[in-house]
Amino acid sequence: MIDYVELTVTSNFTFLEGASHPGELARQAARLGHKAVAITDRNTLGGVVRAWSEANDVAAELKADGEEDGFRSIIGCRLDFRDRPSLVCLPTDKQAYHRLSRLLTIGKRRAPKGECWIDAADLPDHAEGQILILLPPDEADPDFELWARKDGQAFAGSCYLAGQHRYRGDDAQRLAWLAALADRAGLPLVATNDVLYHAPERRVLQDVLACVRLKCAIDQAGRQLEAHAERHLKPGSEMARLFHHYPDALARTIEIANRCRFDMGSLKYEYPDEEGLDGRTVAQELVHRVEDGIRFRYPDGVPDNVRKQIDKEILLVAELGYEPYFLTVHDIVRYARGLEKPILCQGRGSAANSAICYCLRITEIDPVSGNCLFERFLSQERREPPDIDVDFEHERREEVIQHIYAHYGRHRAGLAATVICYRMRAALRDVGKVMGLSSDAVAALNGTIWGWSNQGLPENRVRELGLDPNDPRLAMTLMLAQELTGFPRHLSQHVGGFVITKGPLGDLVPISNAAMVDRTVVEWDKDDLDALRILKIDVLALGMLTCLRKGFDLIREHFGDAWTIATVPQEVPGVYEMIQRADTIGVFQIESRAQMSMLPRLKPQNFYDLVIEVAIVRPGPIQGDMVHPYLRRRDGKEPEPKYPCNEELKPVLSKTLGVPLFQEQAMRIAMVAGEFTGSEADKLRRSMATFRKNGDVDKFKDRLVGRMIDRG
Amino acid sequence: MHRRQRSGKPASETLPLVTVADIAGRRVLAAVDPAAALLGLAPGMSLADARARLPDLWLVDADPAGDAKALAAFSDWCGRFTPWTSVDGADGVWLDITGCVPLVESEAALALDLVARAAQLGFTARAAVADTPGAAWAVARYAELPATSVRILGGSETRMALAPLPVAGLRLPAEIVQDLKRLGLKQIGDLYGMARAPLAPRFGEAVARRLDQALGLLEEPISPRQPIVPRLVRRILAEPISTPEAIEIGLEQLMALLCRQLEEEGLGARQLEFACFRVDGRVERIAIGTSRPSHAPAHLGRLLAEKICQIAPGFGIELLQLRALAVEPLAAQQLGLDAKETDGTVAPLVDRLANRLGARNVLRLVPENSHLPERAARAVSVLDGRHDAKRPQDWPVARPRPIRLLAYPDPIEVMAPVPDDPPLMFRWRRVPHRVRRAEGPERIALEWWREPEAGTDGIRDYYRVEDEAGRRFWLYRRGLYRPETPPAWFLHGFFA
Repeated sequence: MIDYVELTVTSNFTFLEGASHPGELARQAARLGHKAVAITDRNTLGGVVRAWSEANDVAAELKADGEEDGFRSIIGCRLDFRDRPSLVCLPTDKQAYHRLSRLLTIGKRRAPKGECWIDAADLPDHAEGQILILLPPDEADPDFELWARKDGQAFAGSCYLAGQHRYRGDDAQRLAWLAALADRAGLPLVATNDVLYHAPERRVLQDVLACVRLKCAIDQAGRQLEAHAERHLKPGSEMARLFHHYPDALARTIEIANRCRFDMGSLKYEYPDEEGLDGRTVAQELVHRVEDGIRFRYPDGVPDNVRKQIDKEILLVAELGYEPYFLTVHDIVRYARGLEKPILCQGRGSAANSAICYCLRITEIDPVSGNCLFERFLSQERREPPDIDVDFEHERREEVIQHIYAHYGRHRAGLAATVICYRMRAALRDVGKVMGLSSDAVAALNGTIWGWSNQGLPENRVRELGLDPNDPRLAMTLMLAQELTGFPRHLSQHVGGFVITKGPLGDLVPISNAAMVDRTVVEWDKDDLDALRILKIDVLALGMLTCLRKGFDLIREHFGDAWTIATVPQEVPGVYEMIQRADTIGVFQIESRAQMSMLPRLKPQNFYDLVIEVAIVRPGPIQGDMVHPYLRRRDGKEPEPKYPCNEELKPVLSKTLGVPLFQEQAMRIAMVAGEFTGSEADKLRRSMATFRKNGDVDKFKDRLVGRMIDRG
Repeated sequence: MHRRQRSGKPASETLPLVTVADIAGRRVLAAVDPAAALLGLAPGMSLADARARLPDLWLVDADPAGDAKALAAFSDWCGRFTPWTSVDGADGVWLDITGCVPLVESEAALALDLVARAAQLGFTARAAVADTPGAAWAVARYAELPATSVRILGGSETRMALAPLPVAGLRLPAEIVQDLKRLGLKQIGDLYGMARAPLAPRFGEAVARRLDQALGLLEEPISPRQPIVPRLVRRILAEPISTPEAIEIGLEQLMALLCRQLEEEGLGARQLEFACFRVDGRVERIAIGTSRPSHAPAHLGRLLAEKICQIAPGFGIELLQLRALAVEPLAAQQLGLDAKETDGTVAPLVDRLANRLGARNVLRLVPENSHLPERAARAVSVLDGRHDAKRPQDWPVARPRPIRLLAYPDPIEVMAPVPDDPPLMFRWRRVPHRVRRAEGPERIALEWWREPEAGTDGIRDYYRVEDEAGRRFWLYRRGLYRPETPPAWFLHGFFA
């Protein structure tokens, strides 16, 4: 078995050029017996996290099969300069990675959205610790020889020259020329196949992508496409045969791979330290602020259960080291409320389970009622940063965003990205246009695709439209569109997810300019950030908050009463009468038709009833047949059920009359009746939420049911 | 507009003629002749009503397609007055006679001539000449015309002349006309003083636009049927001619004129058209093309002369017209000292051959955008000007290609190391060749979008080989090497 590692690989994160997902490339490389693969996209590090996690999965699978050697992904990128030939850059260690990220940030910040302008002058400052591979042009070029010599002198010892067998008929000559050049310039020759796709069959999709990029139809593309399908990952034996005159070139790939030992997992994320700590550590600061908050929230003294809860939470947060996260969110909320015209904001979601958040005034649910389940928010087992969603008035959210940029600096704060992928409709449209289908045929096919579905088109549907599914062009189009679905198309900014770091953010991940003015975006999306355990704070916009503020302003203007969210009169009967009549157009959460039809039946009389109302009119409870039992019990037609085992479950379910409606209730049932620990219950909740994607809800079901049966 | 048919029956000529169409299941009158109109029939009336009034009618089925063709032919015939003609709706013809007036004595003369000749051809025509198309349209259809059926509007008369005409003369849709009438705006003059603002929301911008167009405040171009060609010479003949010799003489004179004009402008003709307008309204045309621009009268004249036999003179030709359909810049050429025109290139020979043998039979190669060798070049006519944009650089020079490519690759037997090293020996037409030098493989895959079934057979590995006698061949192996099947090899071309 000849050892070989492919060092120049373009994945589909070079948009509209690479034709394989990073995961596919990693798996194929492992299948061919390579010990590692480098993913080197053009001027971007957007796909490296995916490549890294997929490579880890592959390594784990191999280990399970008994292979100890494992499999690695090598992180790198292909640098396209404006004024010199391109280079592949592979960092050998963490510092070199930071330099690479910094270089890309410089290039992207000076260019408009989607572009990266780097010049030869930027390279020397960032070249330390990098392995550079010079990519020769198509035709012999005297200029190139000059650059080769320059690089050979400037980066001696870490610069190589790439040679490729291109199947163009003149390969023997060309490789000889490259070998001679390598000797003259002092750059060792290294073998590569400049891969665009993982298997030769993908070449078809790559041609289509090229046509989409060049905006022409496949019949007109002609020589702009590749002449053959050789740019795929090849096994070591094949590469050895192609380079049989230059065995050293193959050995050098192993040499380079061994030198590049940087692992993405070693990136340590550092939370920003807050200023104004007055010499306290972050843990002390958090306690200090929480104590302040306690005094504010409970002026008459804090109840016992709340105190216990707070202590428990602080302990867990300290153990996991998440104090700065809470401090940062608190800072942002404090800023918003401290403005001259305060911005209305409120946290929601799982953060409402936290007593600390209540004390810090991030959320508004008082834990005194004892119904908070902290494990829903933060758990020992799930070593992820917590996810606090804070809603701001949508009209003034921009101020908050700019404050974050201003306070932390653009070099430390950036918006998370979203990778916009091809969906079935867009894929059909683009592929159809390239393949020459008429626009109404494409429109007809698109019409049968329901919404966001990514399923293919069954044959009978195609026939119903009057098209022949056996027509080769049409069949090819459908197949290619299916393949293209899920490919990344471009990066866009996330709605409000901010990444804030202690050190320069540009060293961690390249930052680029967004289309909107004054916005900077990092290249990774929220899944990538989660995988690397990088903190993300969501600054979201809610139109209803703007409505509320405007309402308060009007009230103050016309009636002179200055109300805030906290001081608005609660439980006014007239309001509930209107709600019971379903006179709720314009009221948040209960103005949809489904809600309006349920309101007269349920007749909410207090706030908790509204909570139930909102939770019950959803597909889950409706399908799970929970609505009717609840209504019957409420109307008194059915008595509340008898709870087994000394009414253990009564406190859990009594408020909803025995019908489990909330995720927290499911978790509590598991904890109380099935004797799950808090974190196990959280796992159960997550698997229930994602039961469509993963099937492991069954595992929990067995355990839960088993336990419950055991206990009677 | 209908054309009175000349039928044999004299009696029928006295009956009023109407055409009948089937609209939405009812039979209604599509058009009526003047006699019928006098008796109270109008288009749109149902056939039953019409018959109730006049039992004796000559009925002809409406033939909109035939009418359209006839109208198009008529519009072409109007090309004798100006090249800028266009069909308007179902019964009108636009003529833009800007600049044509110097050829005739005056606009009035042109219009009268047009109406008179149209009458000879059997058409009843009303003509109006004005500064704007809108005004001409309104006057031609709605104004009271003198007996000659011609009205000329001077520059300043437009506004006054349009005022008494009904608003339908503004080329507005029927509903808008109805609405305007309902509001009491019956004549165009009623709209003059109106503010534009209230009109737009009710009727849309069409009313204001049409009014401005008619009064000349907005430009309105007409798209002509024939492409605009300013280079044209013509000759009206005092007596109709019908012999080839006469046509040739006329052609010679026109050619001299045109070539002098082209030479002065520094242009050469690529396509010429010679049109003969016959007395019966038909037009005979012959056209020639050249591979290079030329303004040499002898050369072009000879090319056209060869085709004169195709012209059928009919009852006689009364107007000759020669025009250059396509021209290109051409530098003036210095005559030799003996004043003979010498053209060093082969272009005149090529032109003669092409025009005589047929444009499709004299070909040259142009590069096409494809990797496959047999599709990388295409043979096109030498006269075809569309491929001149392809320059010599468009040929891909990076990879050597044979001088001669076989139309059908010849199968050969080959001995070659596996899997894809160049061949050592091959046998073609029973003659063995030992390979001394070889280069390759150059892998070219078949175009998968044309041949989706090709699979792995769909690639060719090409090799350039030189045999012991120094001859160079281009061979390929079809498909990747597979151990169980012997590979298929072919000879595709020869190098110099």
